[in-house]
Amino acid sequence: MDLFIQGTLSLFGNTTSIMIFFLGLFGGMLFGAIPGVNMLTLGAVLLPFTITMDPQNAVMLFSVIYCAGVFGGAITAILFNIPGAPENAPTCLDGYPMTLKGEAGKAIGAAVSCSALGGTVSAIIMMTATGIVASFAVRAFGPPEIFALILFGLAVSASIGASTLWKGWLSVLAGLMIATIGSDPVGGIPRFSQGSFLGLEYQSYYMSAGIHFIPMILGFFAVSEVLAQAVNIAKGTRSRPQASIEFPTIAEFLAVRWTIVRSVFVGFFAGILPGIGATLAAFLGYSQAHRWSKNRDNFGKGELEGVVACETANNAATGAAMIPLLALGLPGGALTAMIMGIFQIHGMEPGPLIFINSGDLVWITFAAMFWANLMIIFLGWVQTKTVVHILRVPFRWLAPGILILAVVGAFALRNLFIDVWIMFIAGIVGYMLRTTGYSAAGVVLGLILGKLGESAFAKSMQLMDYNVLGFLQRPISAVLIVVAAVIIISSIVSELRGGHLQRALID
Amino acid sequence: MKTFKKTALAGLLAALACTASYAEKAMPDMPRGFGNRPLTMIVPYGAGGGSDQLSRAMAKAIEEETGLSFQVVNKPGGGGTAAIPDFMISPPDGFTILEHIDTAVAAYAKGDIRENPAEDWIPICIAQITFSQIYIRPDETRYTDWESLMAYIDAHPDELSIGILGKVGSMELVTMQQISDALGLKVRQVNYDKPAETYGSLIGGHVDILFEQPGDVRSFLDGGQMKPILTFLNERPGVFADVPTHREVGADFEALTRFRGFFVKKGVAADRVEFLEAACAAGFENPGFAEFNEAKYMNLVQSYRDRAGAVELINETVGVYREVYEQLGIGQ
Repeated sequence: MDLFIQGTLSLFGNTTSIMIFFLGLFGGMLFGAIPGVNMLTLGAVLLPFTITMDPQNAVMLFSVIYCAGVFGGAITAILFNIPGAPENAPTCLDGYPMTLKGEAGKAIGAAVSCSALGGTVSAIIMMTATGIVASFAVRAFGPPEIFALILFGLAVSASIGASTLWKGWLSVLAGLMIATIGSDPVGGIPRFSQGSFLGLEYQSYYMSAGIHFIPMILGFFAVSEVLAQAVNIAKGTRSRPQASIEFPTIAEFLAVRWTIVRSVFVGFFAGILPGIGATLAAFLGYSQAHRWSKNRDNFGKGELEGVVACETANNAATGAAMIPLLALGLPGGALTAMIMGIFQIHGMEPGPLIFINSGDLVWITFAAMFWANLMIIFLGWVQTKTVVHILRVPFRWLAPGILILAVVGAFALRNLFIDVWIMFIAGIVGYMLRTTGYSAAGVVLGLILGKLGESAFAKSMQLMDYNVLGFLQRPISAVLIVVAAVIIISSIVSELRGGHLQRALID
Repeated sequence: MKTFKKTALAGLLAALACTASYAEKAMPDMPRGFGNRPLTMIVPYGAGGGSDQLSRAMAKAIEEETGLSFQVVNKPGGGGTAAIPDFMISPPDGFTILEHIDTAVAAYAKGDIRENPAEDWIPICIAQITFSQIYIRPDETRYTDWESLMAYIDAHPDELSIGILGKVGSMELVTMQQISDALGLKVRQVNYDKPAETYGSLIGGHVDILFEQPGDVRSFLDGGQMKPILTFLNERPGVFADVPTHREVGADFEALTRFRGFFVKKGVAADRVEFLEAACAAGFENPGFAEFNEAKYMNLVQSYRDRAGAVELINETVGVYREVYEQLGIGQ
């Protein structure tokens, strides 16, 4: 506690530090909110300047950008169905339908509060348990356990957003198939890269990079939404969403308290594992909430619980990601790698000795993340009262803006134009998916989990000498796989017993 | 094995030639019509990685030395191949520079890309060259150095696993193939695709041995989480004077290196190429860049090659890859 107070005092001890703190907070939120640029863009731009900064200010700046950036993307996800950053993608699923129902303020309010809550709780766990948790996670979770975790995620993802379980599974399988495009994770063997069926001169070069999920998300959610709204306008059935600035009530938060607890846990856990991170945390948080919720059938139609689940989980992953970074020197993602770079620039090496050698700096990081998360509540409250008024802009002005943002977002990902084409194709396909009861979210989940899962599976096979039963000989992976199997079987059984019929009657 | 010896000799001669030609050239005058707008530097890997850090450091150094300015653009994907089309369709005016690494050479040798980095591109310099090592956990009790590791592997074949960050046909896997052929190593290979996960797998005990370059794991070496037991280089580099080289333990081949350099397209006017070559040489000598390279352990072997030296290094590397690929039956 003394260390935390010391960290806080040096954080707010002079005006320069305070200015840098707020620069990081606003900068992170702004860059997080604009699709195409994200906190990584801001980080890459600012990194050279940190050389001349005080080490404590530099580390603090990046910790704050990290927390604020993960939250910032939620706003465009909720208002326009455009996730500002990958980790906000599942926020679209329920956030945007809430906007359509005139509950934008409530959705943003929930996103703000839950981001802050998830981030703060994970910062507290980080402060108390970094050393122990880090060594446990890195020892207990090898490729087989990660594969089992991903399988578990897939087991629950079929039920998201589709009109029947079968359509859900077909959507997820389609995503898994798209994930196989590109070089295979071990052999580097190109798949679907031969020939020139797209008529591009350098087709095999692009295809070897595979299909990235960001242009898919932008197409499925933003472009197809513009198409759907345009169709509604043409039919004369569109009603403009109300720009409410109402915050969720305490009672509404209490009602989803278990979702919050679960998401903190899921998010924190996903954040610790190197290479998993906030995006998967958000998706897993969402699919877990959907699995256990009483209002399961309202998911995807504007359920507050859905927004709560992913925004809690992705911010909970921020504190967790600092644990392997600080304790073992293992950055889980690009921004944490930049933070590691800052430590190194100033002559400090993250790793087991960092608490002894540069303890003060570690506590400044902890304090900065804690306060940044708390500040999100205040800033978010101001934003809720102001940003939602954008919705008053007529759709004929808004639609081109959304498309421009989406194009910029798809291009800026890798600065490759092919991603823009993929986005537009995904937009048209996405429109067809949503009018036929298939699930765009399922396809995206299949794509993300498919890439991670195949890589983990291939490594597991090499590790276990190609003995598939090895997955059941390791306790953690065995439990996860068994639970996944039970979930899949029970959902199929209940669907066969007439779940489909029940749902049809409710609808 | 014969060809390896030949390559070794050629490599040695090339190295000598390069050292001789390695002298700072006087900065020529800025060619007419050049440098009046920022140059684009394409990085075929993501922000924050080794190539990105090098490109930004070099861009900054050249800006300081020559007054040129750069816009660094990351185009990651496909292990460095997705960026190549945009480079190839850019006009050959010297305003677009591509950073690339030895992976492009392997991709060319394998037939994954059509462009020969030594012919279809003009290397303006190589700015980082490093070697690989084999690491174990310092608290490992079953073996403590290369000799005891070999004894352990002989007694327990196929029990140990080695973590490698690389795909089939990569520099990493080719080197492992070479050492396995030379010494009859019986270990299981696990191919990783993300650095953090790879390093975590050794520290967390999922694999027993790790193959990497020292600059990438420097923090773990300094922090006492990893210990080098073998260096893939002909001579022991100063910092690792107590670690044996592959030649000393009986593996007779010229080890491949990891190198990163800068290219323009074929067809760029000669005076512009010459200017950029001189700019790159001056950037390499820039104190800030030198400090950067030292921090990345890129000062342990001569890390600079001029245009001729780079072409030589690339051609020689293509030869080694082709030979190994033929043995393994991969590529075209």
